[in-house]
Amino acid sequence: MFNRKKFKFNRNKERQIDEEVLKPLYSNLEKNTEVLNFLYEDCSDVIFRSFVIADQIKAQLVYIKGMSNIEEIDSNVLTPLMQQTDQKSVNPRLLIEQRVSVAEITKIESFDTCVEQLSVGNPILLLDGDQQGYALGLAKWEKRAIEEPSGELVVRGPREGFTESVEVNTSLLRRKIKSPQLKMKTLKVGSYTQTTIMITYIQDLSDETLIEEITQRIKRIDIDGILESGYIEELIQDNSYSPFPQVLVTERPDTAVSNLLEGRVVIVVDGTPFVLIAPTTFYSLFQSGEDYYHHFIISTATRWLRFLFLFISLLLPSLYVAVITYHQEMVPTTLLLTMVDSREAIPFPALVEALLMEITFEGLREAGLRLPKQVGAAVSIVGALVIGQAAVAAGLVSDPMVMVVALTGIASFTIPRYNIAIPFRLLRFPIMLLAGTFGLLGIMIGLLAIIIHLSTLRSFGVPYLSPMAPMKRRDLKDTLIRAPLWKLNTRPHLTGEYNKYRQSSNQKPFPEKESGEE
Amino acid sequence: MKRLKIIWLIGISLFLLTGCWDRRETNDLWVVTGVGLDQTEDGEIEVTVEIHSPNSDGGEGMGGESSQVGGNKMIHQTGKGISIPKAIEDLDTQLPREILWSHTKAIVINKALAETGIREELDFLIRHPEPRLRSYVFISEGSAKDIMALLPPLERSSSEVLIELAKSEVLMKVTLFDLMEMLKGESDAAILPMVDKLPPEEGEQPLETNAYINQSAILKNGKMVGSIDDRLTRGVLWFRDEIKEATVTVQPENADGLISMNLIKGTTKLIPEIDGNQLKMTVQIETIDDVIQNKTNWDLNEIEKQRILEKELAEAIETRLTDTLEIVQKEMKADIIEFGEEFRRKHPEQWKGIKKDWEERFPSVEVTFDIEAKILRTGQGNVPW
Repeated sequence: MFNRKKFKFNRNKERQIDEEVLKPLYSNLEKNTEVLNFLYEDCSDVIFRSFVIADQIKAQLVYIKGMSNIEEIDSNVLTPLMQQTDQKSVNPRLLIEQRVSVAEITKIESFDTCVEQLSVGNPILLLDGDQQGYALGLAKWEKRAIEEPSGELVVRGPREGFTESVEVNTSLLRRKIKSPQLKMKTLKVGSYTQTTIMITYIQDLSDETLIEEITQRIKRIDIDGILESGYIEELIQDNSYSPFPQVLVTERPDTAVSNLLEGRVVIVVDGTPFVLIAPTTFYSLFQSGEDYYHHFIISTATRWLRFLFLFISLLLPSLYVAVITYHQEMVPTTLLLTMVDSREAIPFPALVEALLMEITFEGLREAGLRLPKQVGAAVSIVGALVIGQAAVAAGLVSDPMVMVVALTGIASFTIPRYNIAIPFRLLRFPIMLLAGTFGLLGIMIGLLAIIIHLSTLRSFGVPYLSPMAPMKRRDLKDTLIRAPLWKLNTRPHLTGEYNKYRQSSNQKPFPEKESGEE
Repeated sequence: MKRLKIIWLIGISLFLLTGCWDRRETNDLWVVTGVGLDQTEDGEIEVTVEIHSPNSDGGEGMGGESSQVGGNKMIHQTGKGISIPKAIEDLDTQLPREILWSHTKAIVINKALAETGIREELDFLIRHPEPRLRSYVFISEGSAKDIMALLPPLERSSSEVLIELAKSEVLMKVTLFDLMEMLKGESDAAILPMVDKLPPEEGEQPLETNAYINQSAILKNGKMVGSIDDRLTRGVLWFRDEIKEATVTVQPENADGLISMNLIKGTTKLIPEIDGNQLKMTVQIETIDDVIQNKTNWDLNEIEKQRILEKELAEAIETRLTDTLEIVQKEMKADIIEFGEEFRRKHPEQWKGIKKDWEERFPSVEVTFDIEAKILRTGQGNVPW
């Protein structure tokens, strides 16, 4: 199980461990203990507790401090076994079945399963004369409570978010989807971390080949450790040079479940509250789970607002630069005269001015993100000065530029998902350079390049811009608009084709006819 | 990977190339808001530009002071030459910055230049890519330079005043594009608003006053032939179906005072007819008016009184239109009321024959009126006290 052979360590011990760990357990307790002692040499958090059952059978209990429930071990394992005084022909296996009151007991036959069970916190009980070990399901370690996900806040909707524990996360999914059709396949990735990865899907909704493809891509990963789902995302996505995310990342169980119901696959990674959803499309990255909880007219308006602000966030500084340096005739006269006034004393070209301010803003944003909370207030005060009136008073930038930067800043925060906001924030700069060199023509070149790139992207075989390109009219009901729920009858074309209809049609509510009327 | 490197190299070196060749920072521009064209006594053309002077202390203070309204922020500069391009060349030598023509919205031509013909001069403004075809054209009674040089007490600049005056559509509103069409059209006659200086208020500086539109200039074959006053201009507006604002005051028979009515809607249809050799034109007008002042003792709620009033209103309009025709059709013989266009549209075949001697035949067109006036609202007060 440990792929350490591939690394160039030639130490004897390494090799010895690899050999030992693959061996089955011995029937001799002393020998077993010796091997475990050797494996866990210098691991002071691993506790070996030897005791005797009924004055005859020697036993060894191994567990890792802080990962197992000690009270339960005391009361349900040690106490009944040690108080066993009946000396007549004690059968150790029977004894475990009769005396140990633990719900989950796994039988262990080799050292590698032994190590695996120990590392998830399950104590191991080894008996002399028994070639089997017993892993007791008494793992218990400190977990964070389920909290509201701070990265995806909603006004209306469930307040629970995924946590760092894969068990909790899958239970959150299972709590929402009661059907046994919800399947979870477990994989372990990371030669040292052995991180649990759950591929979750609904049988008969998801494409078998999609699940197969995802499984294959994850299995292909050979890495020493997986610390976050970002590792997996980067190692399985289709186009790794694209700045655009090709996997949806969420902290919200409701978002994950709604994607499961559309035939997508949720990848839960142990140790992070962020689960991955694949495949995804460009448009679903601009949707918030909340869209489906509010009235459809409001949700549609919100979506339009997001797209409007997407364009502002991408293009506004470039448009300003292009218009003020090349296309002065496009500005209303009064506005132009005011802009001319405020730009009169500025020493830089508009492009330099825009770059200066935008880079400063991005710097401030990053600073505000990473700084400890106590310092944050200071940053916002300084920030307000830097991108505020002080910059104008210092004669570095003009009034309209401050306005443009502020609006762009706000616009980039209206995009509900952080990972899709970043590429647009980044692409703003090349487009600004294009606008400064070629004017509006440059902006068009930049936009075309982005659109061409987006249309070549695929996420696990699904075109990134679908259902717009390729056009699938049926799916337009849930892209730029959010049709009423009683109209969302079918699942998305490319992921939910295997079970096309999600509900019966004609569900538009209407008032009951009064009984007197015919 | 190698391909990627090459793309990168090309991409980076693109930025080193001399882009930006037509980049113009606003700091290097002077925005022209109005142009005045004059003909000097020695036959040269004088171009006066009204330039917005950028407030160089825009960065100081809290930035708010830079936009004080009505302050003297305009610079006026004049260039001279045998043609407009020559005059502009002369102007360029005087100005340290490049001129931005795209925001020129008022073009004032003085009467002397208009009388010698403006078609050739307009050609420059139309051919040049920067000036807008949507800018408004005016004829000035005196020199256009003086009109441009005014410092209006309320608006930012003199051209701003002119633009707003044209937009109010009380009298003529003619853009460069309209003028182009008029000069190109079947009749080759044009009508332009005429501006003059309002005498300044007592105690004010001589320049601190507004320009105003008080009459209209009539052009034939690109040359100004005369002018008509505001009353007749409204008559022309009626014919051209461009009437937007009009107040008609009538004194009905048997009434002891005046009643004023305000136009709500007026539509005009010209129906041409060719009867043998005789050209006939029916002017069909429908108008809806509100009563805005009643100085008589009439109770306007009475239907009969309203009917009388409507008849009076129609008659008043007809009188005005007949007066207009008298001057425009009979005296000046300028088809600014676009009868020729109507004939061409309705009878394109016959028009080909008529067109040649249209100038002679236009005054002989027989005009009949069919005016239908309606009173929509008479207001709340029934009888004045």
